[in-house]
Amino acid sequence: MSTFLLILITGIGLGALYFLVASGLSLIYGLMGVLNFAHGAFLTIGAFTGLWIATKVFPNPTTWTFIFSMFAGGIAAGLFALLMEQLVITRLYNRHIDQALVTVGVSLVVTALLGGWFGFDARFLPTPLWFTKAATIGDAIIPVDRFIYIGVAAILLIAMLSILKFTRIGLIIRAGVENRSMVTALGINVRLAFSTVFFIGGFAAGVGGVLISVFSYGVSPLMGGSWLIYGFIVVVVGGMGSIAGSAIAAMLIGITNQFANYYVTGLGDFVVVIILAAVLLTKPTGLLGKVSH
Amino acid sequence: MLRWKYSRPLLIAITVIFAILPFAGDNPLSKAGLQQTMAVAFLFGALALTYDLLFGFTGLLSFGHALYFASGMYVTAILINDFNVNFLLAILIAVIFTSLLAVLTGGAALRTTGITFAMVTLAFGQAGHVVIARDFGGFTNGDDGLPVNADRLPDFFIGVVNTKYLYLLALGILVFIYFTAWWITESSAGRVFAALRDNEQRVSVLGLNPNRFKLLSFVLSAAMAALIGAAMLIVSGSGSPRYAAADITIALLLMVILGGPVTRWGAVLGGIIYSVLSTRLTVLSDGTAFDSLPNFIGGPLAEPAFTLGLIFILIVMFAPGGISGAYYRARFKYLNKGK
Repeated sequence: MSTFLLILITGIGLGALYFLVASGLSLIYGLMGVLNFAHGAFLTIGAFTGLWIATKVFPNPTTWTFIFSMFAGGIAAGLFALLMEQLVITRLYNRHIDQALVTVGVSLVVTALLGGWFGFDARFLPTPLWFTKAATIGDAIIPVDRFIYIGVAAILLIAMLSILKFTRIGLIIRAGVENRSMVTALGINVRLAFSTVFFIGGFAAGVGGVLISVFSYGVSPLMGGSWLIYGFIVVVVGGMGSIAGSAIAAMLIGITNQFANYYVTGLGDFVVVIILAAVLLTKPTGLLGKVSH
Repeated sequence: MLRWKYSRPLLIAITVIFAILPFAGDNPLSKAGLQQTMAVAFLFGALALTYDLLFGFTGLLSFGHALYFASGMYVTAILINDFNVNFLLAILIAVIFTSLLAVLTGGAALRTTGITFAMVTLAFGQAGHVVIARDFGGFTNGDDGLPVNADRLPDFFIGVVNTKYLYLLALGILVFIYFTAWWITESSAGRVFAALRDNEQRVSVLGLNPNRFKLLSFVLSAAMAALIGAAMLIVSGSGSPRYAAADITIALLLMVILGGPVTRWGAVLGGIIYSVLSTRLTVLSDGTAFDSLPNFIGGPLAEPAFTLGLIFILIVMFAPGGISGAYYRARFKYLNKGK
């Protein structure tokens, strides 16, 4: 029972990290039809910014400085996403394949740039001491960092859903996901919605990057690429354009991954891609998918 | 016509020169190091062409092409090492096995279209990568890679002095794939591939089954990729899980975009340039070429992916059609001069 609980909560924690990567991907694809290969780069930029704050600006990590480095990572990644959208994506308006290709290029350049500056070896990101402690639930001993991932992801999930539900720009984004040409035809400025989606997506990925550095004990330029693939899988399983779908799929995949890995090391990755293939072949739009462009 | 009338003789002449150079006295290509680099580059040129058949000619954006390349490589290695099969027979079986694998996976993936198709193929490719890297079944030797048993390969493929024969093997494979791709794309099935890319609905109105032709294109390119994978095994001496990774498929996409899709020679040229650049830039960065520059410039310049990625972005944004596209645009302008 205690092992079951440990695996379950670790799985949910992993799912929370997947969600942070996938939510932005899902919104960007849902609204703009851009498959964003640079999302892994956003994540890496967030992680390196967090590392810089945690090692150079505030070398003695406390809870508050960690929150600050998470926030800084999110802002840096969000700004980079905004910059990429303005400089590159908007110039390739309606050339969807080219937009996807150019993001591949951006992710290569960012990875190589960071690798050239800082090397490819993983660097340790200092955390407050209590992150390494464990909590006891019943007779299960569970590392406390899991709850941080789950908490942060939950806050961002609520924040994103609130923006989508209660603000004007959120309304435009939701309408754009359903039918972009109709929104444009009504004379509403969709461009602003595009930029917002890129910033929010970049922010979530950046925050995720800092947390992933804690989870995987290090910051490396290569971390974005490997997490991006899981981001894609979560988005596709959950349905493009649906934040709630991404959240559900992230949990499903995180938990399955942990349980499969418990029985056979490495089996988790394999099971995850099989889930993806199975979902797509039975329901090509994903669990809660709305768009089909 | 856009084609220059001497382009075919020129192509043949270049091929013959490349075939002779390693045997013609003292020149850069008589050194084993460059021969090895070029052999790998020829094979990537051929592989990029098989990807062009899929992506450029048929319009199928697959992210799992590396699976079939690695399948050809690993099945050949396992048959030679564990079952003592003659290497030619092993390659033949590997190609047939990979074709069947492509029928199964391609058949399933082709039930979807567009980005979803890309994601399903990515999933299959990743599954293959996991199987190889984690060594399920105990055949692939996991992350360490799988060296092919050199005793069971012909003597003239073994040893540094014989690198020139590996080079010739790679060149031969490239020529073979080039002619096969030519034959496929100029055949009536090849016309249907192009029609599918341009207007799928129209193809089905004409009474042809789009999925059957897409699957044909998928399986043909997979079978050719498997043959190239087997050749890569012999040229590099061992299989490695990195050949099954999604990075390889993304590199293929870059090669095709760099050289320009749908022109055949563009993809080959893109593959060769990409491969040579990434090897040579790595060599440069290991040396002292960038040491005089400050780290914030020299560091990234020492990473091949930085330069290649930058070139790639510029091509997608400002020169769609890549090298061959630029050539044909210039030639079009030249031919229409004065009209």
